[in-house]
Amino acid sequence: MSDRSHNRLTRPETLTAVGIILIAAGFLVPTTDLRSISALLPAAMLIGLIVLALVLLVMDQRKAARAEAPVQMTQAPKRVAGAFLLILGYALACDFIGFYVSTAVTIPLVAFAFGYRNPLGLLVATGIVVGSIWLIFDFGMSQSFPAGRLWKD
Amino acid sequence: MYADLLHALPDVFAWTNFAAVVIGVIAGIVVGAMPGLSATMAISVLVPFTFGLEPLVALGLMAGIYNGAMYGGAIPAVLLRIPGTPAAVATTFDGYPMAQKGEGGFALQVAVVSSSIGGIASAFALMLLAPPLSKVTLLFGPSEVFWVAVFGLASIIFLLGGNPIKGLISACFGVFVSVIGSDPIYGNDRYTFGQLEMLDGIHIVILLVGLYALPPVIDLLETPLKTGVNSSNLGTEPIWKAIPRMKGYWKTWLRGSFIGIWIGILPGAGGSMAAFMSYNEARRASKNPETWGEGEPEGVAAAETANNADTASALIPALTLGIPGTAVAAVMLGGLLVHGLQPGPMLFRDNPDVVFGFMWQFLFGAILLVLLGGSLATNSFARLLNLPRPLLGSVIIVLMLIGVYSIHGRMFDVYLMLGFGAVGWVMDKLKFPLPPVVLGLILGGFAEENLRLALRIGRGDPLVLLQNTTSLVLVALTVAVIIGPTIKQRLAASRKPA
Repeated sequence: MSDRSHNRLTRPETLTAVGIILIAAGFLVPTTDLRSISALLPAAMLIGLIVLALVLLVMDQRKAARAEAPVQMTQAPKRVAGAFLLILGYALACDFIGFYVSTAVTIPLVAFAFGYRNPLGLLVATGIVVGSIWLIFDFGMSQSFPAGRLWKD
Repeated sequence: MYADLLHALPDVFAWTNFAAVVIGVIAGIVVGAMPGLSATMAISVLVPFTFGLEPLVALGLMAGIYNGAMYGGAIPAVLLRIPGTPAAVATTFDGYPMAQKGEGGFALQVAVVSSSIGGIASAFALMLLAPPLSKVTLLFGPSEVFWVAVFGLASIIFLLGGNPIKGLISACFGVFVSVIGSDPIYGNDRYTFGQLEMLDGIHIVILLVGLYALPPVIDLLETPLKTGVNSSNLGTEPIWKAIPRMKGYWKTWLRGSFIGIWIGILPGAGGSMAAFMSYNEARRASKNPETWGEGEPEGVAAAETANNADTASALIPALTLGIPGTAVAAVMLGGLLVHGLQPGPMLFRDNPDVVFGFMWQFLFGAILLVLLGGSLATNSFARLLNLPRPLLGSVIIVLMLIGVYSIHGRMFDVYLMLGFGAVGWVMDKLKFPLPPVVLGLILGGFAEENLRLALRIGRGDPLVLLQNTTSLVLVALTVAVIIGPTIKQRLAASRKPA
């Protein structure tokens, strides 16, 4: 496959359209098990998504044929990937280790990783945020937080 | 009709409800002043925290944030030429040149007074127009309600501008998400894949936080902004001295208020369109149009009046028909649902104190803008621009997790929110509109329920959906909304010289 045709297939809108078609088609499978009246709206939406994604795909490929530049998703892919991974990591850490420890580590870690490197500022901000959360939500509103699956048993 | 409006007033002055508006306005100004954060994001993050609050406290916070954020966007627009919110773009045209001439303080004072006037006019429009409209919609049966939902979706897709195919995909996605969970009539599971957590469907807050709060956080971390504003050079004088200098702006305020209210009522149009239109019209009417763009305070007044005048008016179709005029209004509908308040005609009949109290809160929020965003606060709010963005991003991430976890006390919702957040980020980058997703989720179940009811009444005959004049009018309006922009485009193209 030539570079040009490869680029045509990896355009963000093309990839998104293909993704929508595959996912919507996948969801159509369990739709066949539903009663017809229950399946009416979801089936209409899924078929609509497939048809619209096909239109989007054709439109984007036409743009590619006219040598129009694809949409640029980000100028800093590493930073975006890092941000997503840190957020996912934080959620997993809350789930398995517990909320307070994870939060006390995540706030300075994210801020440091993305350019704020003042140690005193990080310490003070972390203290204020974690302390305020405890005071308002835990102490004041008796809100429960994830305790950490690792310590449950 | 308006007796309920007066009846709701005492509740608004209960200290908790009033304090909520004050806190909301301050929080809104702070959020609006941060480039990259918006009222939509702030309200999305706020909504889950309002579960345990009285409805008027929650709604007061939302009304305050909405009002405050629309003005807050003017702070970086004037000081840095970076609009804090999309609606503040037109404010940069004359606000920034004023700041360069050492009149930044006066520019912010013109912005705050104009924002307040626009907000007050908008709140009055909401109070005057929503009650009679709700009376009309009370006469609707299931087939009309179904068509109202279809009309609402069509409006937000086709009048929002941009690519209608992407708008339709967004709406289909939202409606599909609305059907996940137990079937409301037969009780069978739809797309739950055996997950008990999905049986009740997907809570709107999970979707709102994912779609509207996660993408801005990623943007905050993606492009850290160094501001370095020196707020001591603003040249601010007390607001009581500044107001007399604005006495010649009353025509601009009046025009901007009308434009903002009208744009707010139209589904899909937003504050930025209102601000641009008001700015252009004010410049056209000006005796010195050549000074515009070089630091003309009236330009700031025109833009800021209109972008605040579309706040409460955007709730006129939202509260009466369930059709939000803007993205913030769509998120606010989600906030209403959290408190068991289904937008639509029944809201006015069943919860008059809440809905009319909410209107008063909009009015007081707009009045409080002048007091809270006035001369003293202007300098302090300008300093907010120096807050480190990575730190801000990390704090918002924590608040998002707490908010979503608190809905049912389970991490499953947090993972679901992150999934919607990733989808929202992709949609945002590829310019898929987000409001149709929210509206699809809100109206999907509503439309399905009424469609089924209408079909049951008609014993399965689909023609029952077209058997009365109101339904036919709504169908005609829907068709007009769908083909209108295309016809307009073709007409404009045919008028262009070859």
